[in-house]
Amino acid sequence: MRVAIIGAGIAGLATAYFLAKEGIKVEVFEQKFLLHGASGRNSGGITAQFDDEELIKLAIRNEKLYDKLQSEIGFNFLLRKDGYLKLANSIEELGRIELQRKFGLKVKIMEAEEVRNIFEDINTEAFKFASFYPKGAIVFPWAVIWGLAKGCKDLGVKIYDFTKVEIVAEDGKVKGVKSGEFHEADVVVNAAGAWSKEINDKLGIKEEKRIIREEICVTESIKPYIDPYILHASEGLFLSQSMRGEIVGGIVGKSDGGMTSSLDFLIRYAKLVTRLVPKLKGLAVLRQWAGIYDETLDGKPKMCFSEIKGLYQLNGFGRKGMSIGLACAEIASKEILKFTQEE
Amino acid sequence: MVKVVDGRLVEHPILKFNRGKEVTIYFNGKPIKAYEGETVAAALYASGVRIFSRSFRWHRPRGFFCAIGKCSACMMEVDGIPNVRTCKVYVRDGMQIKTQSGFPNAEKDFFGVMDKLIDRIFPHGSQYTKFNNKIFREMLISRLRSFAGFGNAPKVEFSGNADYEEIECDVLVIGGGPAGMSAAINAGKYGAKVLLIDENPNLGGQLVKQTHRFFGSAKHRAGTRGIKIAKILEEELRKIPNVDIRLETKAFGIYGKIVGAVEKSKLLRIIPKKIVVVTGAYERTLIFENNDLPGVYGAGGVQTLMNVYGIKPGNRGLIVGSGNVGLILSYQLLQAGVEVAAIVEAMPRIGGYFVHAAKVRRLGVPIYVRHTIIRAIGKDHVRGAVIAQLDDKWRPIPGSEKKIDCDFICVAVGLSPTHELLYQAGCKMKFVPELGGLVPLRTKFNETSVEGIYVAGDVAGIEEATSAIMNGRIAGIHAVIALGLGGEMAKKELKESLRDLEEFRAGPFGERIICGIEKCILAKEVEI
Ligand SMILES: Cc1cc2nc3c(=O)[nH]c(=O)nc-3n(C[C@H](O)[C@H](O)[C@H](O)COP(=O)(O)OP(=O)(O)OC[C@H]3O[C@@H](n4cnc5c(N)ncnc54)[C@H](O)[C@@H]3O)c2cc1C
Ligand SMILES: Cc1cc2nc3c(=O)[nH]c(=O)nc-3n(C[C@H](O)[C@H](O)[C@H](O)COP(=O)(O)OP(=O)(O)OC[C@H]3O[C@@H](n4cnc5c(N)ncnc54)[C@H](O)[C@@H]3O)c2cc1C
Ligand code: FES
Repeated sequence: MRVAIIGAGIAGLATAYFLAKEGIKVEVFEQKFLLHGASGRNSGGITAQFDDEELIKLAIRNEKLYDKLQSEIGFNFLLRKDGYLKLANSIEELGRIELQRKFGLKVKIMEAEEVRNIFEDINTEAFKFASFYPKGAIVFPWAVIWGLAKGCKDLGVKIYDFTKVEIVAEDGKVKGVKSGEFHEADVVVNAAGAWSKEINDKLGIKEEKRIIREEICVTESIKPYIDPYILHASEGLFLSQSMRGEIVGGIVGKSDGGMTSSLDFLIRYAKLVTRLVPKLKGLAVLRQWAGIYDETLDGKPKMCFSEIKGLYQLNGFGRKGMSIGLACAEIASKEILKFTQEE
Repeated sequence: MVKVVDGRLVEHPILKFNRGKEVTIYFNGKPIKAYEGETVAAALYASGVRIFSRSFRWHRPRGFFCAIGKCSACMMEVDGIPNVRTCKVYVRDGMQIKTQSGFPNAEKDFFGVMDKLIDRIFPHGSQYTKFNNKIFREMLISRLRSFAGFGNAPKVEFSGNADYEEIECDVLVIGGGPAGMSAAINAGKYGAKVLLIDENPNLGGQLVKQTHRFFGSAKHRAGTRGIKIAKILEEELRKIPNVDIRLETKAFGIYGKIVGAVEKSKLLRIIPKKIVVVTGAYERTLIFENNDLPGVYGAGGVQTLMNVYGIKPGNRGLIVGSGNVGLILSYQLLQAGVEVAAIVEAMPRIGGYFVHAAKVRRLGVPIYVRHTIIRAIGKDHVRGAVIAQLDDKWRPIPGSEKKIDCDFICVAVGLSPTHELLYQAGCKMKFVPELGGLVPLRTKFNETSVEGIYVAGDVAGIEEATSAIMNGRIAGIHAVIALGLGGEMAKKELKESLRDLEEFRAGPFGERIICGIEKCILAKEVEI
């Protein structure tokens, strides 16, 4: 049994890792370099504050997997559990708190003034309500990818970088993937994130998805200042402080576009972020960049075999891939294992 | 003899320093005398401060280095605002300055022991691979975090008001050195609406530090001092009403057709039709033991300190590199009453022009060719250096080490083009050693592979001021012609300016440059 995985993001690498642990022969193909996709460009906010039962359960499972994998692989993802703070201008925009509580999340609803106990310098005029999830965390996305890649390699998985592949299928069944060279496989996993639609289009698989571009930047580093990950749900503003001390922040993506960054983003971000935290005004931005991700219409990831036999879809993570990607990969690996046993 | 008062030069043979009103600033609580018009870093240096910060991980001392806001070694907390580059802010009476990366302060930092310990207990990268146990891992994360961060968290709200302006123009010139001024003059005189920006508070680029008489042909102002050439160009430029000059304005990005820049505390969104990138070059550094010790400087940093702010860099300097920059700097140091211990040069012969070398030799400075610096000596700032002879495979010859007494070291080993903006704009780049590093491909009219983006001067290849001026002229005129301005006159002048450049480069010194340019000329010629 051979499995070919397209995409070395969190989804592809984690699936490769789980499968390799079961003794399956796995190859991973990455069109550019590790970290080229959204998994290398995101802000690393981890939460379970979702509005859907399935997503909440995935996120809870995901939290456990972060702990487990770090110990198992022997790699530190620099995951810091200082909570996830969601702000909004109305209570509705905070999402389905009751549902979250029903599944055991200890989310705390607060009025603006109370939030100052968590982060003193926040401007309480800039929002009305907040929901705080103490188990929320911030992870260094690069370390997640490096760690997963290490785990894969330790188990003998081959990761081909700078290898853009296409799926080869015949008579409704996958044969493998090809770049210049053909690589035979019984199962192909489409874990190509924002590029997964393009791959499916080529095979004639129709799907409705939006490709979204999100911009982000970091400032110079300062001493620990902001503990939780902060997302202003009404304005789409997000920020947190990295382990190096930089303020990492951006604006939640809305529309599509390439991976280029813009001046207009910087201007908007600067306005929003200094309204929320006025003391950030003097800080200089050091770098900015953009990433793209794919979002399904119902906001839930795709994880299923598709109409072409042996082709597994593992994509559509939207802006949640770091929060649920590991759990989804675990489910995917189980389904693939089952498929191979049945074959 | 040059008189020195409070670390500052007075009565320099060539320069005149007009110091502003005397003010008092506070450094870690201690009052320090300064003059308006000086940067904080310059004033601190004059008062004898040598350690400006500590490095992030090893807590090694960091001193004044580039003097132009490029290295971050001088970052301090100024009036409660963290991470201020003190070489870029001017003193104000009562200013409170604190070092930020050391305990209790950068000068006496207990964490200095990290330099000896950290690699043993916590080798680089071990934060990822140690601590597989969940409890230890989480403890490590919280401990690590308290060590993170360079400056203190902001204590007060930044009070400068952030303005915003949108500017449309025909030609945007980024950089106000000789190449930039020349491009702006030549685009402006044909009626284009020109915006010229430079991050410095004055025009002239590298020229403002060149107190010597220039080399080059008489027709091209040889014999005139660099600072004078800058003044001549500036006068010509300021006469053209349709050229808008913005100083202390730094372009930070070319986003397709839009350029982002910061003018003091104002954000500019510039929408130009053509862009001339003339950002010059930055200094290369050299690898040797302790090359990060305070007192190891780039030649440019020393020139800025000495020729712009009139501050004495030290008592006795060692110069590494005998190109024109190294030679001229040695001469300038001697003029300012600073001893030059020696010049070392790795090549078997002197790199710069004979006239300059003869001048410093006459003044008794030994020049060691086929020698290099092995290490800088000193605990918290330079107190000497060890040099050694090289064999023909560039390896130091054992036993040839020599100790040199000095209190600062200038690294003058050449320049590399400041190419970042071009890279970001998507210009095709190529590594051309003859031109000093990564340079953009360009047409003979200096247009890069991205239509409407031009280059000239050192950013297109390290050369010198005369050709920078000529290339700026070509770029400026071609840009206006492409905009449909200038008519036949401009076309005629463009031809002429190409011919002038060709003649100028025909000499023996042009050979290397021509060879380099052939490697990066774009096949596609945009004739007009
Ligand atoms: C700015 C930004 C901020 C974000 N913030 C958060 C956050 O705070 N929390 C959170 O949970 N999520 C966040 N996300 C979303 C998260 O990053 C993604 O959901 C997640 O990384 C998706 O992972 P993936 O493995 O599906 O895709 P990717 O990481 O994009 O991986 C897909 C890989 O496939 C490769 N590929 C594509 N086509 C081919 C081919 N034909 N052949 C070979 N390789 C191919 C790509 O190069 C890419 O590396 C953010 C995203 C962005 C852009
Ligand atoms: C010590 C020394 C001696 C020299 N002696 C001679 C000599 O005798 N004869 C001779 O012909 N040449 C000499 N030169 C070389 C000459 O000075 C340079 O070749 C010439 O100045 C290059 O001009 P330029 O306009 O390309 O760049 P520069 O003069 O370096 O000007 C570039 C300008 O761009 C600005 N800038 C850069 N980035 C940005 C940005 N992002 N936004 C806004 N502004 C920006 C910089 O602040 C700078 O002012 C000497 C150089 C040195 C260092
Ligand atoms: S940034 Fe100030 S000395 Fe370099």
